[in-house]
Amino acid sequence: MSSSTGKEKLITDEEEVLQAVILADSFNKRFKPLTTHKPRCLLPICNAPLLDWTFESLALAGVQEIFVICRSHAELVKAAIKNSKWSKPGTGLKIVPIVTAKETFTPGDAMRDIYTHGIITSDFVLVTGDLVSNIRIGEVVRQHKERRKTDKDAMMTMVVKQSGVNHRTRSKGDSAVFVLDPETSQCLHYEAVTGYPPKKYARIPREILNEHPEVDIRNDLIDCSIDICSVEVPSLFQDNFDYGDIRRDFVHGVLTSDLLMKNIYCYIAKEGYAARVKDTRSFDSISKDILSRWTFPLVPDDNHPGGHSYEHLRGNKYIAKDNSVILSRTCKIGNNTLIGSKSQIADNAQVTASVLGQRCTVGAGSIVRNSYLFDGVVIGPNCVVEHSIIGSGVQIKERTRVERGCLIADGVVVGPHARLAPFSRLSKRRSDGDEDDEDEDDDQEQADEEDEEDEEDNESDDGDDEDEDEDEVDSELEEVEANQDAEALAKLGSDTNAIIWPPSTVNEDEEVDELEHPDNQRLMRIGDNASDLVLSDAGSVTSSESESESDSDSDGERFEGSNPSSSTTSLPLSTPSNLVAQADSAAISEFQQEVKQSLDRAFAEGHSVDNAAVELKTLRMASNVSLRLVRDAVIAGIVSRIKIMGDGAISQRKEIASMIARWGGLIDKIGGVDPVETVELLQEHCASSDRLPLFGQILAALYQDDIVDEDDIRAWHAKPESQGEGVKPTSLQENYKKCWVTGAHMIKQFDEQDSDEESEEESEADADDDDDGESGTGNPAVKPLEREHNSSKDASSSEEDSSEETSNEGDEYSTGEDGSEQDDLP
Amino acid sequence: MMNFDVIPVEVVTREFVAVILAGFGNDLLPLTGDHGEEPCAKALLTISNKPMLDYPLSWVEQSGIKDVLLICPSSHRPAISHYIHSQSSSASFSSVHIDLQTFDESQELSAGTCSVLRHFANRIKGDFILLPCDFIPSPSLPLSKLLNKFRTDSMLDGPIVTTCWYEHKSDKQTTPDEWGSPAQPTPIVWDHLSGTLLYVDNPEEADKNNDELELRMTLLSRYPQAKLTSRLLDSHVYVCKRGVLDLLAQKTRFDSLREDFFPWLCKVQYQSTKQTKYATSVRIGIVIHRADEGFTVRVNNLPAYLEANRHVYETPQFVVDNSIGDFTRVEEKSMIKKSTIGKHCVIGKMVKIVGCVLLDHCVISDGAKLDGCILGNSTIVGSKAELIRCVTQAGYEVKENESLRNEKLDISDWAAQPEDSEGDMEGSTGEGESDESDESDD
Repeated sequence: MSSSTGKEKLITDEEEVLQAVILADSFNKRFKPLTTHKPRCLLPICNAPLLDWTFESLALAGVQEIFVICRSHAELVKAAIKNSKWSKPGTGLKIVPIVTAKETFTPGDAMRDIYTHGIITSDFVLVTGDLVSNIRIGEVVRQHKERRKTDKDAMMTMVVKQSGVNHRTRSKGDSAVFVLDPETSQCLHYEAVTGYPPKKYARIPREILNEHPEVDIRNDLIDCSIDICSVEVPSLFQDNFDYGDIRRDFVHGVLTSDLLMKNIYCYIAKEGYAARVKDTRSFDSISKDILSRWTFPLVPDDNHPGGHSYEHLRGNKYIAKDNSVILSRTCKIGNNTLIGSKSQIADNAQVTASVLGQRCTVGAGSIVRNSYLFDGVVIGPNCVVEHSIIGSGVQIKERTRVERGCLIADGVVVGPHARLAPFSRLSKRRSDGDEDDEDEDDDQEQADEEDEEDEEDNESDDGDDEDEDEDEVDSELEEVEANQDAEALAKLGSDTNAIIWPPSTVNEDEEVDELEHPDNQRLMRIGDNASDLVLSDAGSVTSSESESESDSDSDGERFEGSNPSSSTTSLPLSTPSNLVAQADSAAISEFQQEVKQSLDRAFAEGHSVDNAAVELKTLRMASNVSLRLVRDAVIAGIVSRIKIMGDGAISQRKEIASMIARWGGLIDKIGGVDPVETVELLQEHCASSDRLPLFGQILAALYQDDIVDEDDIRAWHAKPESQGEGVKPTSLQENYKKCWVTGAHMIKQFDEQDSDEESEEESEADADDDDDGESGTGNPAVKPLEREHNSSKDASSSEEDSSEETSNEGDEYSTGEDGSEQDDLP
Repeated sequence: MMNFDVIPVEVVTREFVAVILAGFGNDLLPLTGDHGEEPCAKALLTISNKPMLDYPLSWVEQSGIKDVLLICPSSHRPAISHYIHSQSSSASFSSVHIDLQTFDESQELSAGTCSVLRHFANRIKGDFILLPCDFIPSPSLPLSKLLNKFRTDSMLDGPIVTTCWYEHKSDKQTTPDEWGSPAQPTPIVWDHLSGTLLYVDNPEEADKNNDELELRMTLLSRYPQAKLTSRLLDSHVYVCKRGVLDLLAQKTRFDSLREDFFPWLCKVQYQSTKQTKYATSVRIGIVIHRADEGFTVRVNNLPAYLEANRHVYETPQFVVDNSIGDFTRVEEKSMIKKSTIGKHCVIGKMVKIVGCVLLDHCVISDGAKLDGCILGNSTIVGSKAELIRCVTQAGYEVKENESLRNEKLDISDWAAQPEDSEGDMEGSTGEGESDESDESDD
């Protein structure tokens, strides 16, 4: 009896097919120019188109019917769906592409289109075409339906994922604060957060406290853009024609409306992974998440949406399984790397934390780091590619340097000896009729022939769209082409066919959406650490003097909140100078006094490192100061105790080595390890004392004792403050710069060293270099950063430190080889 | 059981000094109005026949604290001094040394808590606990709970204040609007994981933006799982580092601790400019006492006063309907329900008293009916008078057959007299006052 009724129920349940709607259009242009000839959802991430990842995610969630809403490049999307493995019979998925009108500029427009098509018959899952997820959406749908039984007004459930505030897949530029009822997870307020200019206040309506006296304010949720919607959602869009964005307009509008009386809930996913590729930065972080298997079971070696098969090796390296990959014996493959089939890595090439498509070639001695190469990319010998996305068929000729953040569109050729400024965007010149690309172009032209009546003023529209149509692309290309800077083009090498896209700027008259503002977009850009932008949530302990003034001003008014320039807008001044200022306060100086005494005792009486560390820890607990201060004191103690040997570099080196060997360990035993900070503080102390010439040697000694390692030096080196930016007395700034250059030299040596384990010789050599500089001029050796661009002809103009390079060119040649340096020593 | 709590604390004596602030109790008027020439100290109003001050004092004593600095208005000094040196209290607080200090101010223009604290800063040598004289803590909320939170936090990252907030579910039985509204909860934001108070709403913020709460994004970045609630009330119990007094000395404009100083201090926690300016890292701990953990209330308004009286005898140990003080005489055929009757009262025949609080020396004549009333010291109720939800000032006289409802009966304030007295309005004010004070001497 009961079983039969159960069966009946099952059958009725089954009758309700779970529908999903994919918004395949991105409605913005963050990937431009990669997306000029291809919609974003067809860009490959880990060698499979984003759309396939989305299908895979939905299939995993038990969705049976999928509507794909596409707008630009619709034919390409249709073709992709047709060729997808999901379209084959027996997959249990029914995928229906729907081409919307050209006037669809926002997700809201797409929703209105869905309404007019009348395709939705029950609760449905709404996702974007760039989703990577392994969350069990079925469970969310079940909860949503359950809730509908008791609360008829429950209209939508948003899937959010708990994470940290600074999680790498949580976009700084576009996040949100959710105010939730702790028991029901009802979303009571939605506050969109834009990264720059930094949002200062979250404004929570007081009236929600009337009905919900206790609420959670969550700033640690990743919005996965997976929504379980009821049938009335599209009709609400229809009624409110001004709703554009689903979050910022629709959710916010529904929650603040007094008339609609609809409720929206959140589902906080504790397990599973979900994120969307909404900008190049998330493209980077999601690729890394896939490679480090957070998306399991959606990983390259299993369930790969593109149907490729990869072998998973230790360190999350994935190599295509069909034995078609050719790896040279001397090449170096770093962790978190995926290499597609038929790719070749030549001798002494390095590939680290990168994804290589199929048929890629990396030339001898080239370095590819944190970059994404689509299919068929050819990189010549001795190139460097960092933190960039390289479109398919791109050729990078020998000795070319692609700095971080570059986007290079399909079919571009750059080099040889080119140097791309950071964040360059290149695409192919149209007139350039490269044979191999001809066919592709034809395809696209055909595909886009129907889409012709797009307004030209689309640019200023809110729904600026990267997936634009051919003629608009053409007009835009024309404009870009017309405004080429010959000088900049010349730097791209003799064989190039590229044009440079101008960096996005804001036209004063133009009204640009806050979200799409170039400064905010920087937070969404691959490879951009945006360290020069002032972000409120940097949460740094730094502040500028002008601000403490404004602070005291507002103190007059008793409430700082009334002052717009109050504390959160701390300038990105580097920490050292501020720490000094901070240290002036009585409590801290007292602490420093005590630490100094403690260290004096330890050094004089020869305590063990452990005992000294315990003493420091207790001191810190007693006076409650930041770890940095303790580290500061320890490094100051060590540096000041290194004797300056008058009688030559060798004994000096010995003195440093013995000092670091004896006490260096203390730096990491004070209760926390932060080698980058260690280098910073070392720099600070060396720069402000007479031990400036010793900086390189001490750093080398720390490196040898494993207190800092290569990556830390790189990280320190990459910080703008390390160059002395923002250091107050300009005389000190000079010293900072010198230290920085010494570090640059060291890094250069790391680069040269490749995989060989000659670290000892290397640091030795480094120390030698410093000796040389010291004995000669009293300055550390100042050398150019890279040999390549020295040799390349056009390296001189744009580089900031070019003056320094040229002025020290002589230096470089005299100290070029280890041997010659040895000769210089007394 | 108790020893276990007390002994380890005794080892570290003088860790804290308790600072008890006893004010005028303006929200308890007319109960705290003068009785003739004598002021009625708020601290000595009885709750279930024990002076209000007894509750915080014994709370402090149980946590092992030896030093109490009791600050009261100078006009209250004789009465309070008499009380703490009298037999009844010194017996129970033998281990506590009470330093009674006064400040000069008038009832109309009371000084803010900040200025009082600044004034006595030189008497506070170390860390201290600031508490009001009107806090009636639940047995499940020992002071040592707050102190331990303060101690553990200072080991970790040195808070300078630990606060205590309580949830108060007021009884269904409503008190009339004329009595003044019960204390309104303040919206606060706190971090559940670390027990940190992050934001206290204050009138100034509310004025600025009455529709929305403005929370700094820095706060939300530092504490991404903050909770916002409007259910909690401030107990006004603060365990403070000595450093608080230095900050107070710098911020001379602050008047009220609760409305000015602590909301400001919360901001110091996450605003880096302020941190550098005042060279402190601040953390404000929070201890939350939920309603279901036991009844806790601050008796700073009339509804709370009535409620506190009702609840103290509702504790499981004393399942009694009434609490009746010593030397009180109740005549025959009188009915007393759910009420607290003070000492030396005389209750005549056929009297009906339901849900009332009668302070000492009240005289209720035959046939009077009292419902939900609070009668101040030495109130006289004429025969067959009927009072429903009224409060009287000490020494007030209710005439025979008078029927009053929802009134605050105030001796000096003629306007508050019921309609009946309209005829009396012609008589000089002096006459009425002298009448009542004479009679109250009986």
